Amino acid sequence: MKKTIILIVVLILLFHSNSSATTGEGSKIFSPYFDMTLSEGAFIPSEGNFFSGGNINAQVGLLTKVNPSNSIFGLYNLNYAGPGFQPQDSKQFQERSLSHGFNIEYRRGIIERLKIRPGISYSKEYRRTGANEAWENGLYNMDSLGGQLAADYYFDLDRDGILTFQYLTRDVKFPNYTDLLREFQGAGYSSEVSGGLQDQALNHISLRPRWNKFFGGLTYVWQDYKNERVIELNGTYGGTRQRDENITLDFGFHHILSIFEMYPAISWTMHKSNQNYLRYKYLGAVSSDLLSGSSDVTLIKGNYNYNELNLNIPVDLLITSKWAISGGINIVKRDYTDRPPRDSNNTYDFNSRQSNTLTTLSAGIRKRLNEIALFRINYSLIVGSSNNTFEKYLPYNYTGNSISIAYQVTY
Amino acid sequence: MKRTIIFTVLLLLIPCTSYANSIDFGTKATQLAGEIIANPAGFFYEFQQDLETTTPLPPGKTYGFQTGIFPTLLPATYANLSGKYRLHGEGKISPFLPQLDIAGGYWNMIATKIATEQSKDISNLDFNGYYLDLIMSSSVSPKIRTFYGYKYSQLKASLKLNKAVDIAGAQVTTFDSGFKDDFLIAGIEHITGINKFWSIQVNYGIKEQVLASKISWYGKYFEFGLNIYPEGILVIHPVLNFHLNF
Repeated sequence: MKKTIILIVVLILLFHSNSSATTGEGSKIFSPYFDMTLSEGAFIPSEGNFFSGGNINAQVGLLTKVNPSNSIFGLYNLNYAGPGFQPQDSKQFQERSLSHGFNIEYRRGIIERLKIRPGISYSKEYRRTGANEAWENGLYNMDSLGGQLAADYYFDLDRDGILTFQYLTRDVKFPNYTDLLREFQGAGYSSEVSGGLQDQALNHISLRPRWNKFFGGLTYVWQDYKNERVIELNGTYGGTRQRDENITLDFGFHHILSIFEMYPAISWTMHKSNQNYLRYKYLGAVSSDLLSGSSDVTLIKGNYNYNELNLNIPVDLLITSKWAISGGINIVKRDYTDRPPRDSNNTYDFNSRQSNTLTTLSAGIRKRLNEIALFRINYSLIVGSSNNTFEKYLPYNYTGNSISIAYQVTY
Repeated sequence: MKRTIIFTVLLLLIPCTSYANSIDFGTKATQLAGEIIANPAGFFYEFQQDLETTTPLPPGKTYGFQTGIFPTLLPATYANLSGKYRLHGEGKISPFLPQLDIAGGYWNMIATKIATEQSKDISNLDFNGYYLDLIMSSSVSPKIRTFYGYKYSQLKASLKLNKAVDIAGAQVTTFDSGFKDDFLIAGIEHITGINKFWSIQVNYGIKEQVLASKISWYGKYFEFGLNIYPEGILVIHPVLNFHLNF
């Protein structure tokens, strides 16, 4: 049924974008939007064998202008993210995801400088840990449905000065997610006890100014889990439900100075969760003192709280109108506020707090193929470092090289 | 300029050479072989996509023919032929109606016929496929067309043996496999000169979640392509097709 809906919506979008296109550039009623980015790369990690991975992002949209102050924008987004190097504490290199997103936004001009944009969106995401797993069976497959209300205030029409307020809400479901251990333990009285643990209500509020190609913003996101409960200090699930919060501040610009095209950005995120973590040193570990720090079963309060700094400084050197040499550095530094690092034997060191850094140095060539397309060849050196050396499940300290090619088309 | 680019590319490659020794090609080859054995139809279907024509006919052309040369006819021995016919020219009936093309094709693997004739154990080995697609296209500027479409694609592999062989304890005399899916296509085409085109497109299989992206340069007779199958076994396929449009 969902596939049929997806098919129908896409066909409607496609038909309209075609019908609009035939009206030519003079048409003010329909404006098609087309954006596609393809990349494919080879990844050589310091540990393990080399692998390949790529990304596909295709957006097909249509802006329908009913009259000068009323318009409707529909957008379909297909996104595939293949294997690749990942920040620590996120996912395996071989994980891949495939998502479909549908968004319809109504744009209404209230006064000359104020526009409101209510909208609805639906997305479906598939995830799998490797090529041998069926997309439909992914543990973290996700459905999301929700709406938004955004308002744009144009404070400087000459220099593209806009202040945007946005509130959006999503009902997020993970239909396949289950906790096998809890299912096993609770099989006697309920088969549903461990289902829907990741289901959540996600809310997002942001205030973002933009002026003269400078941009920034303050974003607050909170996730209320519907079923997942917090582990209490005695090591059992209590009555409180999990709640995660993110506050992000960001700033950046996109300017061309002489032959240098620069688009640096910096962001700072504070993540808070009321969820705690119970570390079992080995299968079947038992302990009566969960808070001593040296027990086989140790509870880490505030395990998931962190502050993260993300600095991205890409620079393109415009050699000719078609050719450019690009380079850049990206640093992601995550400092956990409560979580101590572990050594290779899975033992906590309570004298410090875990800190991860992922640095990416990149260099490449960019060529403008024609009016709508760009081609890039890029080399990246990735260095992951952490004071956490327990790497049984995820790598924390590694070096990687990657070479990729990418095409980008925007119309 | 070219020297600068070559120099830069070489500089980029230098850091990778230090890692060359750590690459285990033997293990990688074994892994790839395992993936082919696990999903042979998926592997061979990627070659079928290489020969499928999913771009619109050039403006003003009514019909066309295409045959895949590399890696389909050579070295995969896919004897193949595709045809394309314009059902409606852009703006012909109404300015709001796009160009509509119908296309389809068939292939058969010659190597399987040779194997059948030369082997005493094989009674019949058939490896073939066909596809049918509808492509809508319309101009969004004098040099740019967007195109969208639907494609039904099928591959069939069947093997009949003269005597049963033991596979994991089961006596097997026939083996049937295949692949079929409904695809959605979205792409954009840019005219770079007289009889010179460049296009990029994504094909998405709805049932099997198959993804393919194609980047093509084509002229009056030949199409050079770079097909990328991100979840495939051989991820990047360089492609050469021959076509004639009238």
